[in-house]
Amino acid sequence: MKQRAVATGLAIAAALAMTACGAEEAGTGSGGASGSADALEVKIWDGAQVDGLQQIADEWTAQSGIKVNIQTLGWDEYWTLLEAGATGGDMPDVFWMHSNVAQKYMENDMLLDLNSRIEASDKIDMTNYYEGIAGMYRMNDVQYAVPKDHDTIALCYNKAVFDQYNVAYPDETWTWDDFYDAAKAITDAGAGNAYGYAIDVGNNQDGWWNIVYDFGGYIISEDKKTSGMDDPKTLEAMEFLGKLIKDTMPPQSVISENGCGTLFNSGVVAMTTQGSWNINTFYTSDNSENYGWAMLPYCDRNGNGAVDEGERCSIYNGIGWAAAANTDAPDAAWELIEWFCSEENQVKQADLGVTMAGYLGASDSYASAFEGMNIDAFLDMEEQGTLIFRPCSKYTTNWETMMGENLVGAWNDTSTMEATCRTIAENMNAQLAQE
Amino acid sequence: MKRKMTKAEKTEARWCWFFIAPTMIGLVVLNFYPIINTVWQSFCETGDFGRGNTFVGLKNYIDVLSGGEFWISLWNTFKYALIEVPFSVCIALVLAVLLNRKMRGRSVYRTIYFLPMVAAPAAVAMVWKWLFNQQYGLLNHIFGTDTAWISDPKIAWVSIGIIGVWSILGYNMVLMIGGLQEIPRDYYEAASIDGATGIRQFFYVTIPLLSPTIFFIVQTRIIGALQQFDLIYMVMDTSNPALGKVETVVPVFYRYAFTYGNKGCGATFVILLLLVILALTVLCQKAEKKWVFYN
Repeated sequence: MKQRAVATGLAIAAALAMTACGAEEAGTGSGGASGSADALEVKIWDGAQVDGLQQIADEWTAQSGIKVNIQTLGWDEYWTLLEAGATGGDMPDVFWMHSNVAQKYMENDMLLDLNSRIEASDKIDMTNYYEGIAGMYRMNDVQYAVPKDHDTIALCYNKAVFDQYNVAYPDETWTWDDFYDAAKAITDAGAGNAYGYAIDVGNNQDGWWNIVYDFGGYIISEDKKTSGMDDPKTLEAMEFLGKLIKDTMPPQSVISENGCGTLFNSGVVAMTTQGSWNINTFYTSDNSENYGWAMLPYCDRNGNGAVDEGERCSIYNGIGWAAAANTDAPDAAWELIEWFCSEENQVKQADLGVTMAGYLGASDSYASAFEGMNIDAFLDMEEQGTLIFRPCSKYTTNWETMMGENLVGAWNDTSTMEATCRTIAENMNAQLAQE
Repeated sequence: MKRKMTKAEKTEARWCWFFIAPTMIGLVVLNFYPIINTVWQSFCETGDFGRGNTFVGLKNYIDVLSGGEFWISLWNTFKYALIEVPFSVCIALVLAVLLNRKMRGRSVYRTIYFLPMVAAPAAVAMVWKWLFNQQYGLLNHIFGTDTAWISDPKIAWVSIGIIGVWSILGYNMVLMIGGLQEIPRDYYEAASIDGATGIRQFFYVTIPLLSPTIFFIVQTRIIGALQQFDLIYMVMDTSNPALGKVETVVPVFYRYAFTYGNKGCGATFVILLLLVILALTVLCQKAEKKWVFYN
């Protein structure tokens, strides 16, 4: 009898513990999802931006009384989690959207329709934003995200390495051939201790895609139906890239194991091409006083000695602020998006050195956000160069990953470059046909 | 012959169900349901976000089996298991025997060998990744070599295997120490009276009497090694030139299911892996009768 009493007691205790756990889980679950939101769950993938964005969000909290918890994830984890969340019906309230996957999310009604709210807003007018980015997040005349930022690409060089090997610094007159000569001079003189340049297969937007467009080639056709990887101009650019890989870069395995940023920061590599979203990494680096920024080189296709339209391209892209279609606090989510994307806070975002703005003409103060480092090159790229929107389609990630996988071989043996590009074009066309 | 349960037995049975219910519910919700769902998905062309799955029969299986990727990754998986299982079992056996004697600092050594098991696999992988780094890694620095441990397609699979062995060694060792302590001392006394040396005692007393434990470890490690994922995911960058010679089935499944968003093909990869593991397990069970000694 006594045993039985003990057993019953234990069982009740266990049952209580279980229900207690259950109640707690339900409690935290409804915290983000309750109708009258007292906190919004925000997810982003760039840790370098979180401080500035949280500061802007806190000002919104001060007037709205709704807390904003910004969580940062790594790029890969971000998309895995967002997709799992979308599948399971539990997305963050407000989050970043990217051109790679925007179409997929919009087609499946995962994002909140912002049309009526934009119409009613006195702060948001879609004509004030970069059209390439705004248009990316629009489908059948429905706007699903508001541009948060835009980016450009520039060339970062380490003056110490250039001085050591007595090579002149990059400037706006450089063509890609000048770039090659300088990079090769450093690589030859460096004899295994220093290299001119380094990019890995995945450095497309901030690397080889720019060269492809400078040479007059393209990655994907306007109608997103065919690959441009076997276009003669693209192949010409890729052959040039092959020359760069062979004569001016460390072995691909070295780039892959260490990453371009590390190689550059440790003085092994003299030049790196970087996106404006990455400036802070180099600004806060140990040797940042040695770093200078220049515009990307151009390709003088018509040989007139001047930079013409399309000869100095910068692949640009922009993140969009989106809300979950099934969020329980759509009004609060919209107000936060409106706050982030208003002219005032777009300027502030640039002021704080978070990123350039998605709002036209709100990025000027970005150049002065990095005291002691001249980053005018990023703004010059936009004024003097040609902006090309980041190539994308419905399933960008699929062909982008496939490109990278195939190019590892070409990076290691540049004589296979043309054949690799043709294989990529074939695979990509097959993938695009299924979209 | 079936006999009616007494009242007390019935009550006991009810309580049994009550106590195993938490585990059962967990298993059904978190394991059985996903397994069935995965099997179903492997016969479907899956839509985005789990919507609009359409039944396509064996199409995924034909695609996966006729493409090279499955066979290459399966071969890579076996290569990994061929390093991890034999080495981690043999070394652990020797260590267990050595650490089962009376010696100074015995528990310190046992703790040190077991530590990798406590560390998070991701952390272990990151530390090894830097040890193996060609330019700045400790290994090349100590040996004065210039080896691309994890980027050279010829040796990367061995490097990954070494991490695997190192990670699991302590766990195998602890299980074996447990098995060793079950062996009665009398056998060793009898053996030494008969004049058997330490080595002969090891082969004729220890190994036969430890064979049930060894069998258990071999069996579970084969299953574990074939499911290898985190080491490869963490150590091998997607642009690593040796990836194709190392990538096992589960990372390939992950790539299909989560990078490409092709859940159907991804499911097919893991179901095929499941069948391979099932077949090997049956073989192991058959072999058990041949060499495992139960007294």
